[in-house]
Amino acid sequence: MNLRDPDSMNVVIGKVLRYGVLLSGVIILLGTIGMAAGNGFSDTSAALTYSDTVPHDSLDVSPAALLHGLVTFSAFSWIELGVIVLIATPVARVMISVLLFAAERDKLYVLITAVVLTLLLFSMLVTPFIPGFHA
Amino acid sequence: MFIIEFVVLMFLISVFAGVFGSIVGLGGGIVVVPVLTVLMGVDIHFAIGASIVAIIGTSSGAASTYVRDKVTNLRVGMFLELASASGAITGAAIAAYTNSAALAVIFGSILLVSLVPMLMKIGVDVPQSPELEGPSKRLGLTGSYTEPDGRVVRYNATRPAEGLAGTAVAGVLSGLLGIGGGAFKVISMDLAMKLPMKVSTTTSNFMIGVTAAASAGIYFARGDVVPIIVAPVALGILIGAAIGARLLLRSRNTTVRKVFAVVLAIAAAEMILSALGVAP
Repeated sequence: MNLRDPDSMNVVIGKVLRYGVLLSGVIILLGTIGMAAGNGFSDTSAALTYSDTVPHDSLDVSPAALLHGLVTFSAFSWIELGVIVLIATPVARVMISVLLFAAERDKLYVLITAVVLTLLLFSMLVTPFIPGFHA
Repeated sequence: MFIIEFVVLMFLISVFAGVFGSIVGLGGGIVVVPVLTVLMGVDIHFAIGASIVAIIGTSSGAASTYVRDKVTNLRVGMFLELASASGAITGAAIAAYTNSAALAVIFGSILLVSLVPMLMKIGVDVPQSPELEGPSKRLGLTGSYTEPDGRVVRYNATRPAEGLAGTAVAGVLSGLLGIGGGAFKVISMDLAMKLPMKVSTTTSNFMIGVTAAASAGIYFARGDVVPIIVAPVALGILIGAAIGARLLLRSRNTTVRKVFAVVLAIAAAEMILSALGVAP
Protein backbone atom coordinates (compact mmCIF):
# COMPACT_ATOMS: atom_id res chain seq x y z
CA MET A 1 0.00 0.00 0.00
CA ASN A 2 1.27 3.46 -0.89
CA LEU A 3 1.03 5.49 2.32
CA ARG A 4 1.44 8.76 0.41
CA ASP A 5 -1.88 8.16 -1.29
CA PRO A 6 -4.41 10.21 0.75
CA ASP A 7 -6.98 7.41 0.51
CA SER A 8 -4.69 5.00 2.35
CA MET A 9 -5.32 6.90 5.58
CA ASN A 10 -9.02 5.97 5.55
CA VAL A 11 -8.15 2.34 4.88
CA VAL A 12 -5.51 2.08 7.62
CA ILE A 13 -7.49 3.97 10.28
CA GLY A 14 -10.62 1.98 9.39
CA LYS A 15 -8.68 -1.24 9.92
CA VAL A 16 -7.11 -0.13 13.21
CA LEU A 17 -10.59 0.64 14.56
CA ARG A 18 -12.12 -2.56 13.18
CA TYR A 19 -9.43 -4.87 14.56
CA GLY A 20 -9.38 -3.09 17.93
CA VAL A 21 -13.14 -3.47 18.23
CA LEU A 22 -13.12 -7.11 17.11
CA LEU A 23 -10.31 -8.07 19.48
CA SER A 24 -11.97 -6.36 22.43
CA GLY A 25 -15.38 -7.80 21.53
CA VAL A 26 -14.03 -11.35 21.37
CA ILE A 27 -12.20 -11.04 24.71
CA ILE A 28 -15.26 -9.54 26.43
CA LEU A 29 -17.49 -12.25 24.89
CA LEU A 30 -15.19 -15.03 26.15
CA GLY A 31 -15.13 -13.39 29.58
CA THR A 32 -18.92 -13.15 29.60
CA ILE A 33 -19.28 -16.80 28.64
CA GLY A 34 -16.80 -17.68 31.37
CA MET A 35 -18.80 -15.58 33.82
CA ALA A 36 -22.04 -17.34 32.89
CA ALA A 37 -20.47 -20.81 32.95
CA GLY A 38 -18.45 -20.36 36.13
CA ASN A 39 -19.33 -18.71 39.38
CA GLY A 40 -19.44 -15.22 37.89
CA PHE A 41 -23.16 -14.80 38.47
CA SER A 42 -22.61 -15.31 42.17
CA ASP A 43 -23.66 -13.16 45.10
CA THR A 44 -20.56 -10.96 44.96
CA SER A 45 -21.21 -9.86 41.43
CA ALA A 46 -24.89 -9.39 42.16
CA ALA A 47 -24.04 -7.12 45.06
CA LEU A 48 -21.75 -5.06 42.83
CA THR A 49 -24.65 -3.78 40.80
CA TYR A 50 -26.45 -2.38 43.81
CA SER A 51 -25.16 0.76 45.41
CA ASP A 52 -26.52 0.11 48.90
CA THR A 53 -24.55 -3.09 49.40
CA VAL A 54 -21.12 -2.25 48.06
CA PRO A 55 -19.31 1.11 48.03
CA HIS A 56 -18.29 2.20 44.56
CA ASP A 57 -14.54 2.09 45.17
CA SER A 58 -14.35 -1.52 46.34
CA LEU A 59 -12.99 -3.03 43.14
CA ASP A 60 -9.30 -3.91 43.06
CA VAL A 61 -8.06 -2.46 39.77
CA SER A 62 -4.31 -2.65 40.37
CA PRO A 63 -2.23 -4.07 37.50
CA ALA A 64 -1.04 -6.86 39.82
CA ALA A 65 -4.63 -7.90 40.59
CA LEU A 66 -5.49 -7.82 36.90
CA LEU A 67 -2.48 -9.93 35.94
CA HIS A 68 -3.24 -12.44 38.68
CA GLY A 69 -6.83 -12.65 37.46
CA LEU A 70 -5.74 -13.20 33.87
CA VAL A 71 -3.39 -16.09 34.64
CA THR A 72 -5.96 -17.72 36.93
CA PHE A 73 -8.62 -17.31 34.19
CA SER A 74 -10.88 -15.09 36.23
CA ALA A 75 -13.76 -14.12 33.93
CA PHE A 76 -13.89 -10.61 35.45
CA SER A 77 -10.22 -9.97 34.71
CA TRP A 78 -10.62 -11.08 31.11
CA ILE A 79 -13.58 -8.72 30.68
CA GLU A 80 -11.43 -5.96 32.17
CA LEU A 81 -8.70 -6.76 29.64
CA GLY A 82 -11.25 -6.53 26.82
CA VAL A 83 -12.38 -3.13 28.13
CA ILE A 84 -8.75 -1.96 28.27
CA VAL A 85 -8.32 -3.01 24.62
CA LEU A 86 -11.49 -1.07 23.79
CA ILE A 87 -10.22 2.06 25.57
CA ALA A 88 -6.81 1.69 23.92
CA THR A 89 -8.31 1.54 20.40
CA PRO A 90 -8.90 5.30 19.93
CA VAL A 91 -5.50 5.98 21.50
CA ALA A 92 -3.87 3.66 18.95
CA ARG A 93 -5.85 5.42 16.24
CA VAL A 94 -4.39 8.82 17.23
CA MET A 95 -0.86 7.38 17.45
CA ILE A 96 -1.13 5.85 13.98
CA SER A 97 -2.60 9.09 12.59
CA VAL A 98 0.62 10.91 13.57
CA LEU A 99 2.63 8.35 11.55
CA LEU A 100 0.23 8.45 8.59
CA PHE A 101 0.40 12.25 8.35
CA ALA A 102 4.19 11.98 8.56
CA ALA A 103 4.10 9.54 5.63
CA GLU A 104 2.00 12.10 3.72
CA ARG A 105 4.61 14.78 4.60
CA ASP A 106 1.80 16.87 6.10
CA LYS A 107 3.72 18.76 8.79
CA LEU A 108 0.74 20.78 10.04
CA TYR A 109 -1.28 17.64 10.78
CA VAL A 110 1.70 15.80 12.27
CA LEU A 111 1.84 18.70 14.74
CA ILE A 112 -1.94 18.74 15.34
CA THR A 113 -2.21 14.98 15.95
CA ALA A 114 0.95 14.94 18.10
CA VAL A 115 -0.54 17.66 20.33
CA VAL A 116 -3.83 15.69 20.53
CA LEU A 117 -1.90 12.55 21.50
CA THR A 118 0.01 14.43 24.21
CA LEU A 119 -3.20 15.92 25.63
CA LEU A 120 -4.88 12.50 25.52
CA LEU A 121 -2.07 10.68 27.31
CA PHE A 122 -1.79 13.49 29.87
CA SER A 123 -5.51 13.30 30.56
CA MET A 124 -5.57 9.49 30.77
CA LEU A 125 -2.43 8.90 32.77
CA VAL A 126 -1.66 12.08 34.73
CA THR A 127 -4.93 13.75 35.74
CA PRO A 128 -6.21 10.71 37.72
CA PHE A 129 -3.33 11.30 40.11
CA ILE A 130 -3.87 15.03 40.64
CA PRO A 131 -5.64 15.37 44.01
CA GLY A 132 -9.15 16.75 43.76
CA PHE A 133 -9.62 15.97 40.07
CA HIS A 134 -12.61 13.75 39.56
CA ALA A 135 -13.26 14.21 35.83
CA MET B 1 -33.70 -9.21 39.63
CA PHE B 2 -31.59 -12.18 38.71
CA ILE B 3 -28.19 -11.31 37.36
CA ILE B 4 -28.67 -13.33 34.17
CA GLU B 5 -31.73 -11.22 33.38
CA PHE B 6 -29.78 -8.06 34.09
CA VAL B 7 -27.07 -9.12 31.63
CA VAL B 8 -29.53 -10.06 28.86
CA LEU B 9 -31.65 -6.93 29.33
CA MET B 10 -28.62 -4.60 29.38
CA PHE B 11 -27.30 -6.31 26.26
CA LEU B 12 -30.55 -5.68 24.35
CA ILE B 13 -30.87 -2.07 25.55
CA SER B 14 -27.26 -1.46 24.58
CA VAL B 15 -27.87 -2.71 21.04
CA PHE B 16 -30.59 -0.05 20.79
CA ALA B 17 -28.26 2.57 22.33
CA GLY B 18 -25.53 1.67 19.85
CA VAL B 19 -27.84 2.04 16.86
CA PHE B 20 -29.04 5.52 17.87
CA GLY B 21 -25.73 6.68 19.31
CA SER B 22 -23.84 5.90 16.13
CA ILE B 23 -26.38 7.65 13.90
CA VAL B 24 -26.60 10.91 15.86
CA GLY B 25 -22.91 11.00 16.80
CA LEU B 26 -23.47 11.24 20.57
CA GLY B 27 -22.49 7.73 21.62
CA GLY B 28 -24.71 5.36 23.55
CA GLY B 29 -24.20 6.97 26.95
CA ILE B 30 -27.37 9.04 26.97
CA VAL B 31 -29.44 5.84 26.80
CA VAL B 32 -27.26 3.67 29.02
CA VAL B 33 -26.96 6.04 32.01
CA PRO B 34 -30.69 6.61 32.70
CA VAL B 35 -31.53 2.94 32.07
CA LEU B 36 -28.88 1.76 34.51
CA THR B 37 -29.72 4.27 37.23
CA VAL B 38 -33.52 4.55 36.94
CA LEU B 39 -34.56 1.08 35.77
CA MET B 40 -31.78 -1.06 37.20
CA GLY B 41 -31.02 0.82 40.39
CA VAL B 42 -27.31 0.87 39.66
CA ASP B 43 -25.04 3.38 41.40
CA ILE B 44 -24.48 6.53 39.29
CA HIS B 45 -20.69 6.02 39.41
CA PHE B 46 -20.99 2.55 37.85
CA ALA B 47 -23.47 3.94 35.31
CA ILE B 48 -21.04 6.66 34.20
CA GLY B 49 -18.23 4.08 34.05
CA ALA B 50 -20.44 1.98 31.76
CA SER B 51 -21.35 5.08 29.77
CA ILE B 52 -17.66 5.81 29.04
CA VAL B 53 -17.28 2.25 27.73
CA ALA B 54 -20.50 2.65 25.71
CA ILE B 55 -19.27 5.90 24.11
CA ILE B 56 -15.89 4.43 23.16
CA GLY B 57 -17.58 1.30 21.79
CA THR B 58 -20.10 3.28 19.71
CA SER B 59 -17.35 5.53 18.43
CA SER B 60 -14.84 2.90 17.33
CA GLY B 61 -17.48 0.37 16.28
CA ALA B 62 -19.25 2.72 13.86
CA ALA B 63 -16.20 4.77 12.86
CA SER B 64 -14.51 1.74 11.33
CA THR B 65 -17.30 1.78 8.73
CA TYR B 66 -17.70 5.57 8.44
CA VAL B 67 -13.96 6.13 7.95
CA ARG B 68 -13.65 3.39 5.34
CA ASP B 69 -16.60 4.83 3.39
CA LYS B 70 -15.18 8.37 3.80
CA VAL B 71 -18.27 9.95 5.34
CA THR B 72 -16.21 10.98 8.36
CA ASN B 73 -13.87 13.88 7.58
CA LEU B 74 -10.58 12.86 9.21
CA ARG B 75 -8.93 16.28 9.02
CA VAL B 76 -11.95 18.06 10.50
CA GLY B 77 -12.07 15.44 13.25
CA MET B 78 -8.42 15.60 14.15
CA PHE B 79 -8.30 19.41 13.97
CA LEU B 80 -11.29 19.70 16.32
CA GLU B 81 -9.81 17.09 18.67
CA LEU B 82 -7.31 19.79 19.66
CA ALA B 83 -10.21 21.66 21.25
CA SER B 84 -12.14 18.68 22.64
CA ALA B 85 -9.05 17.21 24.33
CA SER B 86 -7.92 20.48 25.92
CA GLY B 87 -11.53 21.23 26.85
CA ALA B 88 -11.86 17.86 28.58
CA ILE B 89 -8.84 18.52 30.79
CA THR B 90 -10.18 22.00 31.59
CA GLY B 91 -13.58 20.50 32.42
CA ALA B 92 -12.01 18.01 34.83
CA ALA B 93 -10.22 20.91 36.53
CA ILE B 94 -13.42 22.98 36.75
CA ALA B 95 -15.30 20.01 38.19
CA ALA B 96 -12.71 19.73 40.92
CA TYR B 97 -13.32 23.26 42.14
CA THR B 98 -16.87 24.31 41.28
CA ASN B 99 -20.47 23.25 41.48
CA SER B 100 -20.98 21.22 38.33
CA ALA B 101 -24.78 21.09 38.75
CA ALA B 102 -25.14 24.81 38.02
CA LEU B 103 -22.93 24.46 34.97
CA ALA B 104 -24.96 21.49 33.76
CA VAL B 105 -28.10 23.63 33.82
CA ILE B 106 -26.34 26.32 31.78
CA PHE B 107 -24.97 23.86 29.23
CA GLY B 108 -28.30 22.04 28.99
CA SER B 109 -30.04 25.36 28.33
CA ILE B 110 -27.55 26.22 25.56
CA LEU B 111 -28.31 22.85 23.97
CA LEU B 112 -32.04 23.57 24.12
CA VAL B 113 -31.53 27.00 22.55
CA SER B 114 -29.40 25.52 19.77
CA LEU B 115 -32.40 23.42 18.80
CA VAL B 116 -33.88 26.55 17.18
CA PRO B 117 -31.32 27.05 14.37
CA MET B 118 -31.17 23.27 14.07
CA LEU B 119 -34.92 23.10 13.43
CA MET B 120 -34.76 26.02 10.97
CA LYS B 121 -32.54 23.83 8.79
CA ILE B 122 -34.79 20.79 9.16
CA GLY B 123 -35.49 20.33 5.44
CA VAL B 124 -31.96 21.14 4.24
CA ASP B 125 -30.30 18.18 2.54
CA VAL B 126 -26.82 19.52 1.74
CA PRO B 127 -26.00 23.12 2.75
CA GLN B 128 -24.74 25.60 0.15
CA SER B 129 -21.01 24.98 0.29
CA PRO B 130 -18.82 28.08 0.73
CA GLU B 131 -15.56 28.71 -1.16
CA LEU B 132 -12.55 26.99 0.39
CA GLU B 133 -10.49 29.93 1.64
CA GLY B 134 -8.46 31.31 4.53
CA PRO B 135 -7.70 29.04 7.48
CA SER B 136 -10.08 26.32 6.20
CA LYS B 137 -7.96 26.07 3.06
CA ARG B 138 -4.67 25.97 4.96
CA LEU B 139 -6.11 23.25 7.22
CA GLY B 140 -7.46 21.26 4.26
CA LEU B 141 -10.99 21.20 5.71
CA THR B 142 -12.72 19.95 2.60
CA GLY B 143 -14.06 16.62 1.47
CA SER B 144 -16.58 14.60 -0.47
CA TYR B 145 -18.66 11.51 0.09
CA THR B 146 -21.09 9.42 -1.94
CA GLU B 147 -24.81 9.32 -1.17
CA PRO B 148 -26.62 5.96 -1.46
CA ASP B 149 -28.13 7.10 -4.78
CA GLY B 150 -24.62 7.52 -6.24
CA ARG B 151 -24.58 11.34 -6.01
CA VAL B 152 -21.16 12.67 -4.93
CA VAL B 153 -21.48 15.47 -2.37
CA ARG B 154 -18.52 17.90 -2.26
CA TYR B 155 -18.28 20.34 0.59
CA ASN B 156 -15.95 22.86 2.22
CA ALA B 157 -15.86 23.78 5.89
CA THR B 158 -16.14 27.41 6.93
CA ARG B 159 -15.38 29.32 10.17
CA PRO B 160 -12.96 26.78 11.70
CA ALA B 161 -12.23 29.10 14.65
CA GLU B 162 -15.89 29.05 15.67
CA GLY B 163 -15.98 25.29 15.20
CA LEU B 164 -12.95 25.00 17.44
CA ALA B 165 -14.57 27.20 20.12
CA GLY B 166 -17.79 25.17 20.08
CA THR B 167 -15.84 21.94 20.30
CA ALA B 168 -13.86 23.30 23.26
CA VAL B 169 -17.21 23.75 25.04
CA ALA B 170 -18.00 20.13 24.10
CA GLY B 171 -14.72 19.03 25.66
CA VAL B 172 -15.34 20.99 28.88
CA LEU B 173 -18.74 19.35 29.17
CA SER B 174 -17.30 15.85 28.71
CA GLY B 175 -14.62 16.50 31.31
CA LEU B 176 -17.15 18.03 33.68
CA LEU B 177 -20.03 15.58 33.51
CA GLY B 178 -18.65 12.59 31.62
CA ILE B 179 -21.46 13.03 29.08
CA GLY B 180 -22.95 15.49 26.63
CA GLY B 181 -19.90 16.36 24.55
CA GLY B 182 -21.15 14.87 21.30
CA ALA B 183 -24.09 17.25 21.01
CA PHE B 184 -21.91 20.36 21.02
CA LYS B 185 -19.55 18.75 18.52
CA VAL B 186 -22.36 18.08 16.04
CA ILE B 187 -23.82 21.56 16.55
CA SER B 188 -20.41 23.21 16.00
CA MET B 189 -19.85 21.37 12.74
CA ASP B 190 -23.40 21.88 11.55
CA LEU B 191 -24.08 25.49 12.52
CA ALA B 192 -20.58 27.04 12.46
CA MET B 193 -18.69 24.99 9.90
CA LYS B 194 -21.70 24.26 7.65
CA LEU B 195 -20.83 20.63 6.99
CA PRO B 196 -23.45 18.20 5.64
CA MET B 197 -25.38 16.61 8.54
CA LYS B 198 -24.02 13.09 7.95
CA VAL B 199 -20.46 14.41 7.91
CA SER B 200 -21.14 16.26 11.19
CA THR B 201 -22.62 13.30 13.08
CA THR B 202 -20.09 10.76 11.81
CA THR B 203 -17.14 13.08 12.48
CA SER B 204 -18.50 13.69 15.98
CA ASN B 205 -18.87 9.94 16.37
CA PHE B 206 -15.20 9.58 15.34
CA MET B 207 -14.08 12.16 17.93
CA ILE B 208 -16.11 11.13 20.99
CA GLY B 209 -14.05 7.96 21.42
CA VAL B 210 -10.93 10.03 22.01
CA THR B 211 -12.72 12.41 24.38
CA ALA B 212 -14.16 9.50 26.36
CA ALA B 213 -10.81 7.67 26.41
CA ALA B 214 -9.25 10.82 27.87
CA SER B 215 -11.42 10.50 30.97
CA ALA B 216 -11.52 6.67 31.00
CA GLY B 217 -8.32 6.46 33.04
CA ILE B 218 -9.85 8.11 36.05
CA TYR B 219 -13.03 6.00 36.06
CA PHE B 220 -11.03 2.83 35.59
CA ALA B 221 -8.60 3.71 38.38
CA ARG B 222 -11.52 4.38 40.75
CA GLY B 223 -13.06 0.99 40.04
CA ASP B 224 -16.15 2.45 38.38
CA VAL B 225 -15.81 0.14 35.37
CA VAL B 226 -17.51 -2.97 36.73
CA PRO B 227 -17.09 -6.11 34.55
CA ILE B 228 -20.59 -7.50 35.06
CA ILE B 229 -22.16 -4.19 34.02
CA VAL B 230 -19.83 -3.19 31.20
CA ALA B 231 -19.62 -6.63 29.54
CA PRO B 232 -23.22 -6.74 28.24
CA VAL B 233 -23.11 -2.98 27.55
CA ALA B 234 -19.93 -3.24 25.46
CA LEU B 235 -21.11 -6.28 23.49
CA GLY B 236 -24.54 -4.78 22.81
CA ILE B 237 -23.09 -1.40 21.87
CA LEU B 238 -20.62 -2.88 19.39
CA ILE B 239 -23.39 -4.80 17.62
CA GLY B 240 -25.71 -1.79 17.70
CA ALA B 241 -23.02 0.53 16.32
CA ALA B 242 -22.37 -1.83 13.40
CA ILE B 243 -26.11 -1.81 12.59
CA GLY B 244 -26.41 1.97 13.10
CA ALA B 245 -23.48 2.68 10.77
CA ARG B 246 -25.14 0.73 7.97
CA LEU B 247 -28.45 2.52 8.59
CA LEU B 248 -26.82 5.97 8.49
CA LEU B 249 -25.05 5.30 5.22
CA ARG B 250 -28.43 4.48 3.66
CA SER B 251 -30.25 7.43 5.25
CA ARG B 252 -30.79 10.94 3.94
CA ASN B 253 -29.23 13.98 5.60
CA THR B 254 -32.72 15.31 6.36
CA THR B 255 -33.64 12.11 8.23
CA VAL B 256 -30.43 12.18 10.27
CA ARG B 257 -31.13 15.82 11.21
CA LYS B 258 -34.65 14.98 12.40
CA VAL B 259 -33.43 12.08 14.54
CA PHE B 260 -30.63 14.27 15.90
CA ALA B 261 -33.06 17.09 16.84
CA VAL B 262 -35.24 14.68 18.83
CA VAL B 263 -32.27 13.09 20.62
CA LEU B 264 -30.80 16.55 21.30
CA ALA B 265 -34.02 17.71 22.97
CA ILE B 266 -34.06 14.58 25.16
CA ALA B 267 -30.37 14.86 26.02
CA ALA B 268 -30.68 18.54 26.98
CA ALA B 269 -33.75 17.88 29.13
CA GLU B 270 -32.00 14.93 30.78
CA MET B 271 -28.98 17.09 31.58
CA ILE B 272 -31.03 19.90 33.11
CA LEU B 273 -33.38 17.62 35.08
CA SER B 274 -30.55 15.56 36.51
CA ALA B 275 -28.65 18.69 37.53
CA LEU B 276 -31.76 20.01 39.28
CA GLY B 277 -32.06 16.70 41.09
CA VAL B 278 -35.36 15.77 39.46
CA ALA B 279 -33.88 12.82 37.58
CA PRO B 280 -30.62 10.94 38.24
